[in-house]
Amino acid sequence: MFGLIGHSTSLDAARSKAASLGYPEYAEGDFEMWCVAPPQLVETVTVTSPTGKVIEGAYIDSVFVPEMLSRFKTAKRKVLSAMELAQKNDIAITALGGFTSIIFENLNLLKEQQIRNTKLEWERFTTGNTHTAWVIAQQVVHNAPRLGIDLARAKVAVVGASGDIGSAVCRWLQRQGVGELLLVARRPQPLLDLQAELGSGRVLELNDALAEADVVVWVASLPEGLSIDADLLPRPCLMIDGGYPKNLDSRFAGDGVHVIKGGIVEFWQDLGWQMMEVADMANPRRQLFACFAEAMLLEFEGIHTNFSWGRNNITLANMDRIGEASLRHGFRALALDSVQPGTLVTA
Amino acid sequence: MAVSLSDLSPNPAASIGLGRGGGSTAESGLPDFSSESYKDAYSRINAIVIEGEQEAHDNYLSLATLLPDQADELARLARMEMKHKKGFTACAANLGVEADMPFAHAFFAPLRDNFQQGLAEGKLVTCLLIQSILIEAFAIAAYHIYIPVADPFARKITEGVVQDEYTHLNYGQEWLKANLEASRQELEEANRANLPHVRRMLEQVADDAGVLQMDKEDLMADFMTSYQEVLIEIGFTSREIARMATAALLG
Repeated sequence: MFGLIGHSTSLDAARSKAASLGYPEYAEGDFEMWCVAPPQLVETVTVTSPTGKVIEGAYIDSVFVPEMLSRFKTAKRKVLSAMELAQKNDIAITALGGFTSIIFENLNLLKEQQIRNTKLEWERFTTGNTHTAWVIAQQVVHNAPRLGIDLARAKVAVVGASGDIGSAVCRWLQRQGVGELLLVARRPQPLLDLQAELGSGRVLELNDALAEADVVVWVASLPEGLSIDADLLPRPCLMIDGGYPKNLDSRFAGDGVHVIKGGIVEFWQDLGWQMMEVADMANPRRQLFACFAEAMLLEFEGIHTNFSWGRNNITLANMDRIGEASLRHGFRALALDSVQPGTLVTA
Repeated sequence: MAVSLSDLSPNPAASIGLGRGGGSTAESGLPDFSSESYKDAYSRINAIVIEGEQEAHDNYLSLATLLPDQADELARLARMEMKHKKGFTACAANLGVEADMPFAHAFFAPLRDNFQQGLAEGKLVTCLLIQSILIEAFAIAAYHIYIPVADPFARKITEGVVQDEYTHLNYGQEWLKANLEASRQELEEANRANLPHVRRMLEQVADDAGVLQMDKEDLMADFMTSYQEVLIEIGFTSREIARMATAALLG
């Protein structure tokens, strides 16, 4: 059995979802109530691959909402409790979705293996980042040419390049062969380390990179206060919004700038669940986060191990392996023609 | 909404509960176990634990009168509770604290009275819910939250106790699971009558627990987790549990 740990995008969204799922008490509950509420195994789902293989899975809502991000103890407890619930349900491989993997990484929850009477078994969990990185790389490779961008000569900026997903995308694109990689991140040293590892790529400030980039891969979240001049961008420009939450579309799309929700896949047939509605998917019956799909793929393939784990451990071989599985089991990366045309926003 | 990753940088100073109340020793982040404010709060918390173990002992022996065929097993559980009581009494002695037993006796009065009334009326389900579910889940939550901030002596003792308490939670759970359909109505009524007492008990103890660096939200959340887990095992759906829990505990 595979598992997915997710959460709503806000307390308000969580409340209305609770109402529709038959939890009126949660729907009326205040923030404090949501802080103490335990995780919920909300639904189970059966998934069939085009190969005919059938797997079972469960969606666990961590009952975390982004408003809890500033309460470290609450955020930590939410993630660990959701993982505990997955393990107690004997789920073989569970993906940490949305903020849960970010919280796990940033609050260093590897130190917190014991939760109540449960010792978490890390091999039951995956960040799903290998599949996410592979999907983002596919989105670059398949959509750039459709905008007339020749990747062999294009400059591809990766914002958040030194992170787990960012560095994997850089390695993959370098092997693929792109004109030049423009490396952007907040902290300089990890970027220089990545540049040394790649043996290529140019380290730039964000705005300098945007001014040159034919393709922009965002794998860092865009802070609310950060103002970016969309006029800087060359036209045409392909932007892959691989951060979480996804908020680039309304800020950049239009006038020759094309934004794709990054790290999102579409399944070959409808999934009998309702949970992706909380994630604002355009087609929630078929679309889902690639990190969630990784748990499904590992279950389909019988790979019961923490396939994506820790920081900067994603290898090209594992990306190829999960990519082949992704295609075999009926997933495809979200492409330009399956997104709504964005509106031009002049910030 | 957008949240920058930097919002998530761990900042121990901002963590809830640290450095509050009795003061903490800088290196370990643990409370100063020898401070007067710590010992004062400990005299009540420790008394609650000692009283709780004593009443648990008495309650399991009382339950044996309603379940005579399980008298041996219940006597075994009761003996474990007495062992716990001795351990926690030693914890107070180790810190040079005298437990405030009159406070603790009053603290348990509402649940004790309801248990005794249930016992007199032969209401086994009510008695099992109060002792084997509510009190045990409350104890387990308290011990879990206490262990990381306990003094080394008490920590070792509490770690041993918490494993036993799961056995006790399990006892009530298995009986109620086997008899769910016959018990459902009484269980829901007893839950409605007694869960608000648990909430009041948590609130009553929150300030003293804070001095021991036990956070009220953590206590409540841990209780909710154990409570939900046991009710799911018994056979309630998570929607029913949400209703049972929030209406009485959080509403």
